[in-house]
Amino acid sequence: MATVEVRDLRKRYQDFLALDGVSLKAESGQLVTLLGPSGCGKSTTLRCLAGFLEANGGEITVDGESILGTPANRRGFGVVFQNYALFPHMTVAENIGYGLKIQKLPKPEITTRVHDAMKLVRLDGLGDRLPRAISGGQQQRVALARALVLKPKLLLLDEPLANLDARLRDEVRWLIRDLQQQSGITAFYVTHDQSEAMAMSDMVAVMKAGRVAQFATPREIYQKPVERYVADFTGEANFIPCQSVTPHGEGRYTISAAGVTLELAGVPGITGPAELLLRPEALSLTTPEAGTFRGTVTKSAFLGAALHCEITLNDGSVLKLAAEPNHHVVAGKEVGIAIDHTHAWLMPEVTP
Amino acid sequence: MTLRNPKLLLAIPAIALIFVFMILPITNMVEMSFRTPGESAPFGDDFTMMHYDRILSDGYYWAVLGRSLLTAGVVAVLCLMVSYPIAWHMSKATGMKAVFLYACIASPLMTGVLVRNFGWMIAAALNGPLNEVLLGLGIIERPLRLLFTQGLVILALVHVFVPFMVLPINNALRNISPTLVEASSSMGASRREVFRDIILPLSFPGIYPGMILVYVLAVAAYVTPALLGGQMVSYMPTLIIGELTGTFQWPFGSALAIVLSLSSILVVVLFTALTSRLMERSKA
Repeated sequence: MATVEVRDLRKRYQDFLALDGVSLKAESGQLVTLLGPSGCGKSTTLRCLAGFLEANGGEITVDGESILGTPANRRGFGVVFQNYALFPHMTVAENIGYGLKIQKLPKPEITTRVHDAMKLVRLDGLGDRLPRAISGGQQQRVALARALVLKPKLLLLDEPLANLDARLRDEVRWLIRDLQQQSGITAFYVTHDQSEAMAMSDMVAVMKAGRVAQFATPREIYQKPVERYVADFTGEANFIPCQSVTPHGEGRYTISAAGVTLELAGVPGITGPAELLLRPEALSLTTPEAGTFRGTVTKSAFLGAALHCEITLNDGSVLKLAAEPNHHVVAGKEVGIAIDHTHAWLMPEVTP
Repeated sequence: MTLRNPKLLLAIPAIALIFVFMILPITNMVEMSFRTPGESAPFGDDFTMMHYDRILSDGYYWAVLGRSLLTAGVVAVLCLMVSYPIAWHMSKATGMKAVFLYACIASPLMTGVLVRNFGWMIAAALNGPLNEVLLGLGIIERPLRLLFTQGLVILALVHVFVPFMVLPINNALRNISPTLVEASSSMGASRREVFRDIILPLSFPGIYPGMILVYVLAVAAYVTPALLGGQMVSYMPTLIIGELTGTFQWPFGSALAIVLSLSSILVVVLFTALTSRLMERSKA
């Protein structure tokens, strides 16, 4: 449908730099997630894309052509808002048909397309209701239908699930992904929920203070983060500082950490201090003799499906891991920790 | 005595006040409007329909009633047109700017009704500042007779009733989520279409009370029509006061007042009925 490129986008509010050179690219039909905490600039980026905000610098192109000079109402993008932004004085069908009415399409065509759109998001029969008379999940589906019925070049979603309860969130999430893939619409999706980002996206941009910290596939973001900020934001993570780092070959290193020497992969080109990233699922408990690391259990909690443990190593670093629930672990016990080398990753130490 | 709901006690002062100063006098007035004219008393002993017969069969009273209702309608509509842009700006203002605007809006109400109307008399006089400005600008060649015209009455009423229109509309505009505007423009609506389809209907919960307030106040306005309207054009309130204090025809004056009240209530009911669908949909 459309390839969208954001280059070096800048936005300044009085004395606050909201966007400090954001660059991204969405290939045709991809869903790109902007992930980050509040205030990182993800919504600002989306609002610049939608045309609600004017950027102070940089460029946004759709299929190679700049859209910065085009006002929001001529961009032809669909926008879905966190608070749904349904027109409260219009029925569900009128909400969905509003954009078509603006295009002055003949009434029968509007009726058919609205009907089809409602079917697509499973809202059949609710056309005559006012937004306030339907549930939150239904309202968000109306918002989605309202954006999709216009066959937009680009779909922009601003935390569309944030106001829904957990069960609905799952349902609407898959609906969004399915519809986006079926229609092949390029989409940008803003969220602060890493699991949402992981599950839905083709590409994820992890944002940090108005910049893109890493722009990669969900797998890379999770398994090969470029810095601690990204690793932290994308899931549970353990970090162990390294005493020495010897590079050999592209992205391969021999390190010593917590008294153990390891050979593993990492971010290419590390020269300074580095730290070892170990996701909880890369770790497993074993006997003190068999493990790579040796440590003492300091905490354990039974969570049903797993046993959550914290183990303090002899250099003072703490590793969190999920053990098999029937494993006998008590605080104070000495254990060994085996690591899956394919899931260990070396990152440069970056001052946050 | 024990009260089932002690909260009702709190309502007693208000109920008493309304009963003594509103229910009783109105009941009294309704009763008086059916009395025969008195010889040496305010009204006679017998009941009659003659006052209502006289009002309804005389074209003069129909004309005055019509003028009163129509003028009030014109005042309300002009007030809406003047007030909407002001309310729009106010709804965007924050901090000290908002405080300043509120003070400006309330300013017509800070002047006493007589002072304000005498002010208009001076401003609109044949050699007053309004005419001087118009002459000076070369817009007119000889002074206009502005005073004692219906136009001046309408202008003065619009001036004083603007706050009653601005404040509720401002309130309604503030309640419209800015994302609705963004949503509609992302769907292709131009600024004009956003205003027509989203802002205007959603501000109706402010337009409605503004229109009702201004209409009712304008229908009942006495001082402004009396001072600025002169002797040539009559309005119902001036007529009623004339009957009550000029010729001491209390029963007839009461009947006129009842007719005016009922007609303006009818207008309000009609307006409400015509707009009820919009109101139902647009309320928050």
